[in-house]
Amino acid sequence: MIPHPEGGAFAHPVTTGIILATLAVLAVSGLAILWLSHSGRAKPEFRRELWLRWASWCVLLPLMLGPVLIGRVPTILAVTILSLACYREYARATGLFRERVLSLVIVLGILAVNFAALDHWYGFFVALWPLTACALAVCTIPLDRPAGYIQRTALAILAFMLFGAGLAHLGYMANDPGYRPLVLLLLTAVALNDVAAFTCGKLIGGAKLLPATSPNKTVSGAMGAVVVTTTLVALVGAAIFRGTPLANPVWLVAMGALVSVAGQAGDLLLSSIKRDLGIKDMGTVLPGHGGVLDRFNSLLLVAPAVFHLVGYFVGFGLTVPTRVITG
Amino acid sequence: MDWNLRPARDLGLTPADRLRSLGREPGLVGLAVNTAWRRAVRAYLRTAHRFRIEGHDNLPRSGPFVMIANHASHLDALALSAALRGPAARRAHALAAGDLFFANSARAALSAYAINALPVWRGRSRRGDLDTMRARLAEDSLAYILFPEGTRSRTGEMAPFQPGLGMLVAGTDIPVVPCWLEGAREAWPAQSRLPRPGRPLTLTIGPPLQFPETRNDRTGWEAVSSRAEAAVRGLAPSRQGGAQTAGGGQKPPKPV
Repeated sequence: MIPHPEGGAFAHPVTTGIILATLAVLAVSGLAILWLSHSGRAKPEFRRELWLRWASWCVLLPLMLGPVLIGRVPTILAVTILSLACYREYARATGLFRERVLSLVIVLGILAVNFAALDHWYGFFVALWPLTACALAVCTIPLDRPAGYIQRTALAILAFMLFGAGLAHLGYMANDPGYRPLVLLLLTAVALNDVAAFTCGKLIGGAKLLPATSPNKTVSGAMGAVVVTTTLVALVGAAIFRGTPLANPVWLVAMGALVSVAGQAGDLLLSSIKRDLGIKDMGTVLPGHGGVLDRFNSLLLVAPAVFHLVGYFVGFGLTVPTRVITG
Repeated sequence: MDWNLRPARDLGLTPADRLRSLGREPGLVGLAVNTAWRRAVRAYLRTAHRFRIEGHDNLPRSGPFVMIANHASHLDALALSAALRGPAARRAHALAAGDLFFANSARAALSAYAINALPVWRGRSRRGDLDTMRARLAEDSLAYILFPEGTRSRTGEMAPFQPGLGMLVAGTDIPVVPCWLEGAREAWPAQSRLPRPGRPLTLTIGPPLQFPETRNDRTGWEAVSSRAEAAVRGLAPSRQGGAQTAGGGQKPPKPV
């Protein structure tokens, strides 16, 4: 159980703090872009790009943070929608959407694993990963079309791992009554991680990280992001997990580093997919960002990694009723 | 290891552009909406118009092929797609007038998702658009539903065929399936806003034509059009003047 004070959505000071900090960052960045626009220092197309990104964030942040503040069911529903949106983009980019049977099994798997989270049924939740992988491996055999079997099955299993089983961990966290500060921390920390990598890379410069995969990322950016994100997550984590076995400097720093490294790994994972396909963005849904996956790539690996770290030390929803729907 | 990864043809388009794109490839949602719509239309045609199909064996089971028919009513494309089954039905695209069926976003969404229509822009169809359609027909094993007259007949008389059909199939083995739809003008006239239930509707499907030796140029396209037109006329009941082109579609004609 994550410690949580009695009261509504804003009972935990960390929840209030993260929301206020987010609003402050949004306001300050808006003012900064306004100043940049008026001073005439930036090129018009760069200003337009900045405004688009900023406006996208203004729409996106309430959609991300709102469900978490409202409660458990909206959080899990929001994660389900995110999973389906991510799968859709991946399927259209890789061509997997042409495999109707596999696509259907993946969609059903995503719905099932999020239902298991909603039901607070951990056994089914973890069973769905191997079960869906088996279903994906066999479901196209009856088509009697062995050509391309390995490719389509591999694409499908990777899709379910990333967008189904992986992302669903974020929704499952909401089964713990004290989930709000942790989920909000993860959502904002991965965004901060991206910004820190970009800023440190620009300020320090130096050697490229993986030039063939992602030409704009630098070693200094990656290191800077690890330092910034680890510090922030460890400090905020200390406030969230006070009094639990996780409230130990070593483990808090490990959790912070995990968020940063898994976040950057998710980013590079998507870059590898895009490079392999020869495309720039996964979609066009979010002006200034690209697709949903271009924005949420960092969360894909962070969710399961942090879930199991916190699960090992603290556990999720251990004292609240389980199997609330299936009984 | 090199895998054959083929992104969607409409990748990177905004949702509005995607609806009107000739490269639009439906996903699970599009497939579900289109299947539900086709089944509902089939049930409606059967109950309200006693819809009958003759010559069903002439339809290829899967694409690529082009279904052509006389055009007198909005029911035509619905009736032709209702006749399709299996993989051909799932890959069938009606080529519809862009200025009418894709005029605004709501109509475009209905045309794209329910009817699975692809827009054809009358009078300003670019050569590139036709090349895209020709390439997709073969590569994606599609079935096109096409009315070569270009517009609905107001009188019931079939107008001469336009050469666009030839641009899609000249010089290929892709079958062109001639059809005659009888009763559509009475069931839903061009002047009427809604169909009139109770009027019977009959679809006659003729043997497919192929044009492997036809040249892919203007003379070839016109040859395709005239042979296809004769085949469609040949399926018409005798009062439509089937006698003038007797046998046009009754036996498989030799390639031009």
